[in-house]
Amino acid sequence: MMQAKTVLIVDDSRVSRMMARQYIGGLHADWTVVEAATGEESLLKAREVAPDLVLMDVNMPGMGGIAAAELLRQEFPAMPISLLTANVQTATRERAAAMGVGFVEKPITEARIALLLSPLEAA
Amino acid sequence: MAAMHTLPAGDRLHLLHSVLCAVNIGAVVLDGDRRIVLWNAWMIKHSGLNNDKVIGADFFATCPGLRGGRVDAAIQQALYNNFPSVLSQSLNKSPFALHANALAVARNERIQQAVEVTPIAVEGAPRHCLIQITDVSIAVAREKLLREQTMVLRSQTFSDGLTGIANRRHFDVAMEKEHRRAKRGGTPLSLLMIDIDHFKAYNDHYGHQKGDQCLIQVAAALAGMLKRPCDLMARYGGEEFAMILPETDVEQATLMAETIRARAHELAIPHERSGTDLRQVTVSIGIATQKVETPVDLEALIGAADRALYQAKRAGRNRIAALLP
Amino acid sequence: MFNLTELENDALIEIFNIGVGQAAASMSAIVHEAVHMSVPSISFIPRAEAARLLGARDAAEPERICGISQHYQGAFETEAILMFPEDKSLEIVRLMVGESVPLKELTEMEQEAMCEIGNIILNSCVGTLANIFQHELEGSLPQYHLGTSDEILTATGSGADTVVLMLHIDFLLEKHQIHGYVAFVLDITALHDLKDQINLYIARAMGQA
Repeated sequence: MMQAKTVLIVDDSRVSRMMARQYIGGLHADWTVVEAATGEESLLKAREVAPDLVLMDVNMPGMGGIAAAELLRQEFPAMPISLLTANVQTATRERAAAMGVGFVEKPITEARIALLLSPLEAA
Repeated sequence: MAAMHTLPAGDRLHLLHSVLCAVNIGAVVLDGDRRIVLWNAWMIKHSGLNNDKVIGADFFATCPGLRGGRVDAAIQQALYNNFPSVLSQSLNKSPFALHANALAVARNERIQQAVEVTPIAVEGAPRHCLIQITDVSIAVAREKLLREQTMVLRSQTFSDGLTGIANRRHFDVAMEKEHRRAKRGGTPLSLLMIDIDHFKAYNDHYGHQKGDQCLIQVAAALAGMLKRPCDLMARYGGEEFAMILPETDVEQATLMAETIRARAHELAIPHERSGTDLRQVTVSIGIATQKVETPVDLEALIGAADRALYQAKRAGRNRIAALLP
Repeated sequence: MFNLTELENDALIEIFNIGVGQAAASMSAIVHEAVHMSVPSISFIPRAEAARLLGARDAAEPERICGISQHYQGAFETEAILMFPEDKSLEIVRLMVGESVPLKELTEMEQEAMCEIGNIILNSCVGTLANIFQHELEGSLPQYHLGTSDEILTATGSGADTVVLMLHIDFLLEKHQIHGYVAFVLDITALHDLKDQINLYIARAMGQA
C-alpha cells in the first residue's frame, strides 16, 4: 500500500495553484496538497510540513522561484524540487541542472503533473 | 482568354501550380506531418535540391539545421495555432542553405533571406503551411553601404584632433558594438593595446612638438595597416592606441601584433633616450582574444589586454604579449 | 467600465504570463542571452485613456512611439498591438538587433526586426489564450506603426467607445529593464466572450467542468 504523500505547490497565481491541486487530487485523492503564494512562504511551509515534492513557479514577485529553490536546496538537500516555467531557455536548463532541481514547462497539464508525480509513486 | 474561374478544376490547378513555380521567390509547402509537398523552381535553383530528392521527404530531414530553431517554431505556429510568422533578415541570418550561384556555393555565401510562414487550409486534409523565402541581398547590401557612409560622416565627430584617427569615444562605442556582434555571431574578437615605449622620455628630450609629430606618424602607420572596414584603430590615451579586430582569433591577432611591432620599428624614428641600444621608437603590444567558446565581459577583455601590455613592458618592451581573459 | 473578479483577473494574468514566458524563450534563442518577460498587471480602460498611458507626456506635443499590430479573428475578434514608449523602442531594437540606431534612422531592416519581435510576442499571447480557451483563431501578419499612441490606436481601427485590455509587460534583457504594453482592442461582444471563456477555464481548474 503506497504511502500518502505531501506536495507543496508554490505559485503566486491562485488559479495555477487550484489547477495543480485539481490534477494532483485527480491522480491521488489521498495525497495532501499544501499551497504557498510566495518564495518566502514556501520556506515556512516546507519546514512545517516536510513535503515529498515541491513544485515552484519561477516567475513570482519578491523572492522569486529560483532564489527560493536555492534556499530550499540548502536547507533540505534531499527534497525533490521542480521548477515550473513558461520560459524554458538554455540559462534555465543549466541553472536547474546546477541546482539539482527538475523543471517543467507551463501551462500545467494533467499529463505533466502525472509525469512529475511518478517518481514519488515508486517509493 | 478564359477567366481562371471558368477553367475546369484540373486546368486551374495546373495553372496555379505553374504560377507558384514561376514566381521569383522561394515557395515551400509542408503538410500536417511536415512533409514537403511543394518545392518550387526558385528553391530547386538556389538549393541545388531537385524535386525527386525533397517531395515527400520530412522537412527537417532535408534541412536538419533548422530543427528546434525559429523556423521550426514558426511552422508549429502555422500548423497548430493557425498563425503566420515573419522571420526578419536582421534577427535570422540566412536560415536556409540557399546560394545565388555556383561561385557563392564555393565561397559558402548564402542568400540574405526574409522568410514568412503562413498557414494554408486544405479541404479534406489537416492544415498545411507555406514557407515563402525572399531574396533581400540587394536591400541588405544597400543598407550596409548607407550605414558605412553614415559611419564615415559620423566618424568626423569621433576622430582624435591630433592624429585624425578614431578617438576614445569612438573606441568605446565601437568596442561595445563589436563585443555584442561577436556574441551574436559566435565569432572571436581580438583587442590589441599598443603603447609607445619610453614616450615620456621622448617628449622630455625632443620637446612636445616633436612628440606630437611622433604620435601622428605612428598613428598613421598603424592605421594604414587595417585591412577590413570593421577593424578599428583608435587613440586610447596619451601615447596608447587600441586596435579592435573582430572575427579574429588568437593566431591572427598575434600575427597582426607582430606585424605592427615590426612596422613601428621600420619607421626608424630616432630616439636617443630609448634606454636601449636600439635608439629608435618602438612599441609594446598587449593582445587579448575573446574565443567563441568562452565569451567574457567587455571589462574582462580590456583588462586582459591591459595586463598583457604590462607584461610586454615588464619583459623588456619592443615586444608583444598575449593573455586570455 | 468592464470589470473582472479577482479570480478572473488572476486567471487572465496567469495565461498571459505563460504566453510572454514562451515568447521570452523564443527571443532568448535569437539573441543568445537570457530574456525574461512577465505581465505584472492588466487593466481594462477606455480607448482615450489607453492613448494617454503611452507617452502622451506633453499633451500639446505627444511623443511618437513604435507599435506592431496584428489582427485576430475567429472565435473572437481583436486587434492586438505591442507598444513601447518612445525612449524604450529604440532600446529594444538596439538590444535585439545589436546596432545603435536613433529611432528616426530606424531602417527598413530594423523595422522588420521590430515586426518579428511583435509577431513573436503577440502570437504567443494570443496563441496561449486560444489554446487554453480551446478556440480556433486566424491571425494576420504584423504591421509596423510609428506615431503617437492616439494615431496608432486609430489606425488599428479602434472607435472612440471601444475598450482596451492593457497588458503591462516587463521586459528584461542584458540587465536592461524595459516596460512596454500589449493592447487588445475589444468590443462589447468580445469582452463578454472573454469573460465567459475565463470562467469556463476557472471551472475546469476547480474540477467543476
